[in-house]
Amino acid sequence: MGKQMTEMLKGTLEGIVLAFLTGNPAYGYEITAWLRSQGFTEIAEGTVYALLVRIEKNGLVDVEKRPSEKGPPRKVYSLNADGEKHLEEFWTTWGFLAERLENLRTEGK
Amino acid sequence: MSIRSMLETVVGELGLKKRWRQLKARKQQLPESHRKAHDAVERYLMYAAGIADGAILTAMAEDLLELFEQGAADGTPVSAIVGDDPVEFAEEFARNYSEGAWIKKERARLNEAIENITHGDLDKLDHRKEES
Repeated sequence: MGKQMTEMLKGTLEGIVLAFLTGNPAYGYEITAWLRSQGFTEIAEGTVYALLVRIEKNGLVDVEKRPSEKGPPRKVYSLNADGEKHLEEFWTTWGFLAERLENLRTEGK
Repeated sequence: MSIRSMLETVVGELGLKKRWRQLKARKQQLPESHRKAHDAVERYLMYAAGIADGAILTAMAEDLLELFEQGAADGTPVSAIVGDDPVEFAEEFARNYSEGAWIKKERARLNEAIENITHGDLDKLDHRKEES
C-alpha cells in the first residue's frame, strides 16, 4: 500500500469501520475481508485489530464473545449509541474536508 | 497499609503472574511462523511502548497473543497480520496502552506547563503586537 494511502487511512479507517458496523455486527476477520474486497487490499489485519481494541476501549461498540471451533473465542462487534454519534460526527467532518478539497482542486484549474 | 490493601496487592500480583504463565503456555501452541512473529513484535513492544504498569502490560501481551492466535486459526499468514510495515503496526498497536506508559507523566507535565502559560498572564506576545 502506498505511503500516502497509509497516511490518509490513519485518519479515516475508524469512520470506515464504524460505517461498516452500522446494522451489521461483525468480527475482526470479516471486517478485514470486507476492507480488502473494497480495494484496501494490503491493509494489515493487525491494524484493524488495534483499531477494534481502541473503539472498544472508547466505548463506541458493544462486544459479544462467541466460542469458536478453532482458536480463541471470537469477539463480535456491534455499533452502540455512542458509536452512532461518533460516526455522525465523522461524516460531518468528512463532508467538510471533501468539499474543501474539491474546491481546492477545481479552483486550481 | 491496611491488611486489606496488602492482600489486594499480593493477590493482584499473583493474579498477574498466573496470567503470564498462561500466556507463555498459549504462546507455545502457535505455529512456528506465528510464534516467531509474535515474539518479535512483543520484544519490540517491551522496549518501545514503555509500559510501567504491570496490569496494562499484561493486557497488552494478552491482546497481542490473541491477534496471533486468531490469525493462526483463520490461516492468515504473518505478512497479512503485521502488513508491510511491522514497526508502523507495532506503534499503532502500542498506542492503545499509552495510559500505562512511563512517558504519560511527562506528557501531562508538558500539557500543564503550556496550559499555565496560555491561561495565565504570561502569553501576552500577541497583544503587544496589536498595540505596536
